[in-house]
Amino acid sequence: MKMKKFLAVCLSAAMTMSLLSACGGSAAAPAAPAAEPAATEEAAPAATEEEAPAAEEASGEVQEITFMIWDDLEASEDLITKGYKNSVDRFNKDFEGKYHCTPITTNLEEYYDKLNALVAAGDTPDVFIASPGANLNDYAMTGVAAKLDDYLNADGWKQTFTSDAVFAGGTYGDEGGDGPGIYAIPLNIAAACVFYNTEMFADAGAEVPKTFSELLDACQKLQDKGYTPITISAGTAWCLSMVAGYLCDRNGLNLQDIKDHKTDWKDEKVINAGKQIQELSKYFQKTAAGDDNDVATAAFYNGEAAILIQGSWAIGQINGSCAEGFADKVGVFAFPAVDGSSADPNRVIAKSDSLCMSATTQYPDAAVQLIKYFVDDEASKYTAEVGGKIPVTNVQYDEKVAPPELKYVMDVFKGASSTFGFYNESLADTEAGSTFDNCFVEIFKGEDPATALDPIEDYYEMNVWE
Amino acid sequence: MDKLMRNKKAIILFIAPALILFTAVLFIPVCKAVYYSLCNYKINYQPKYIGIKNYVMLFTKDKTMAIAFRNSMFFMVFSIVTQLVFGLILAALLTNIKKGRNLFKNIYYLPCVLSSAALGLLWMFVFMPRLGINQMLASLGFFNGDCTLGPQWLFATDGYIILPIWVISFVALWQYVGQSMMLYMAQISGISSDIYEASYIDGCSKKQSFFYITLPLIKPMVATAMSLNAIGSLKFFDLIYNMIPEGFLSHKADVIATHLYTQAFKFSKLGYGSAIGVILLVLCLIMTVIINKFVKTESYDM
Repeated sequence: MKMKKFLAVCLSAAMTMSLLSACGGSAAAPAAPAAEPAATEEAAPAATEEEAPAAEEASGEVQEITFMIWDDLEASEDLITKGYKNSVDRFNKDFEGKYHCTPITTNLEEYYDKLNALVAAGDTPDVFIASPGANLNDYAMTGVAAKLDDYLNADGWKQTFTSDAVFAGGTYGDEGGDGPGIYAIPLNIAAACVFYNTEMFADAGAEVPKTFSELLDACQKLQDKGYTPITISAGTAWCLSMVAGYLCDRNGLNLQDIKDHKTDWKDEKVINAGKQIQELSKYFQKTAAGDDNDVATAAFYNGEAAILIQGSWAIGQINGSCAEGFADKVGVFAFPAVDGSSADPNRVIAKSDSLCMSATTQYPDAAVQLIKYFVDDEASKYTAEVGGKIPVTNVQYDEKVAPPELKYVMDVFKGASSTFGFYNESLADTEAGSTFDNCFVEIFKGEDPATALDPIEDYYEMNVWE
Repeated sequence: MDKLMRNKKAIILFIAPALILFTAVLFIPVCKAVYYSLCNYKINYQPKYIGIKNYVMLFTKDKTMAIAFRNSMFFMVFSIVTQLVFGLILAALLTNIKKGRNLFKNIYYLPCVLSSAALGLLWMFVFMPRLGINQMLASLGFFNGDCTLGPQWLFATDGYIILPIWVISFVALWQYVGQSMMLYMAQISGISSDIYEASYIDGCSKKQSFFYITLPLIKPMVATAMSLNAIGSLKFFDLIYNMIPEGFLSHKADVIATHLYTQAFKFSKLGYGSAIGVILLVLCLIMTVIINKFVKTESYDM
């Protein structure tokens, strides 16, 4: 009996110990990254310069870093993504035995959710891509992203960029978690333009429109000829929101006035933009409400629709996955002015892919070296000549080799008086941006703009203006 | 053995593993979630105690929460009723067929073991405007042969309960009815054949034996299955998340769990998300209590 009792006690003790050891196992795992502050703790400051090299020297092994991006580097047909993959491959090859980068890929729609989850779990990727706007604000202001000024100034790296203006989206003043400075390195610039099928336009006798009413006329002619005039996604709300942003701007809305509460979201300019979206929606494909961005853009690439309002990243897709010869049919024009509006009609929506370095990376030198591979001459030449995006460095590229659409976009860009960001990324925070998107989806579906704008008005009342 | 079980040290040692596990992975996180629900807590920021402000906001100003609550309640009622009815019918049919019982049992149960994420994507394609059902119907001559004129299965937003919610409820029924069926079958197969034989000798028909013998004797399992369905449908997330991409319906197809996800992970409002989580937990507890209270179960010796 004593033996049985002894065995039972031993067994229970063994079970308890195995449970405890299992719980603690991951902490000792060799592949675990450096401990970062838990989400509940104060955000940790960036690793100091004295600490970081010490960590690197101490290891003597390959310094493993991670890079998170919003596309599949292996499977994507997007030429810009292929360029990013090329940069990672070159980095891994050139620094074999010293540094190694492992990409973490996800789709665009879930990108920030997953990145936020990694940040909250204390597992921030060493290098991650972000767009200037509400998300980047959070990373820069809470010490998730590191300040990069020292690295930019160290060896003349900053002088390789076209101007200091390209850093505007990633520059923060006193609100920056690590003090005033640059928290994100831009890789390229994309401008939101109107892509059109020149063959369909010619066939329908439509002219390139300069004003909104001319755009409606052109759409009517295309529709009369049996074409789908515009393909757009209201399912992927930012696509519709991009057009809404243009219309608000062309009607003369100033986002700063909204932020300062000098006006509100029921401003006549926003209401007008809503009405214009409804007018324009008569020319959208019938399934616009349910099509996602991929389906909507495919309709243009497959020659089913005449107009696609999209960022100039579309050039990389047009030249990467469309049938041969299609790219020659594509023309580009700037978003038209609104008739009778005194607003500047030459402003262009622009955005950049930017790279941030984690403030808690164990290997900042490796991370910065990786970022440099995304904006070196080879990468920047590729950006322009193959990807069709506007490079941010002083690289000389062969305009004859570059996709013809890039020249059209450059023309639009050069003719621009100033640029502004995507509305959904330029508002107070990500929720405000999402609410703005949803309001315009409801307007597109037929709700009266005056009432459809209630949610964004309420959101600002409760969270921004109070 | 009895002596061992009276030994307090042994009892503690036996309980310890489960207790530690329960405390570490459930009790502490739940307590922390309750605390965070009383805080203004964004990812990367320190939680700041704000009392019940999150709950006041949820109940008075959050219109999406009202929609999510309505949709979750609909899912729960739909799921309880349909799975009870169809699960019972399938269980009764399968226990009475002589050939192919295992085959059909596996067929009906198969969707339960498949990944909800994969099924969600699969059904999304089936209901996409240009693919699946609409294309099939168009090829049969419906909608003047143009699939884009067909119903917007996943994107229509008219009505009190919008069409996408009905569609997803149907998919959820298809996926989980096998589980209810298995539970009922397990209980039915435990009923002694003597009882049925005695009833047939007394002149009972098969239909009567189902209503007067089978149904009363599987009542405990009905209560269990209803509780499982209620809790499962309140927590319902994966099919909606995969069938309706975020932002597609301006949150009109949100349920409580997707609203929690959006607030906590999309907008980084962990405190607010925790408040939604606490409400979800309380709802699940209330439903379990209600079902156990109102579905009276008595034990019979079968």
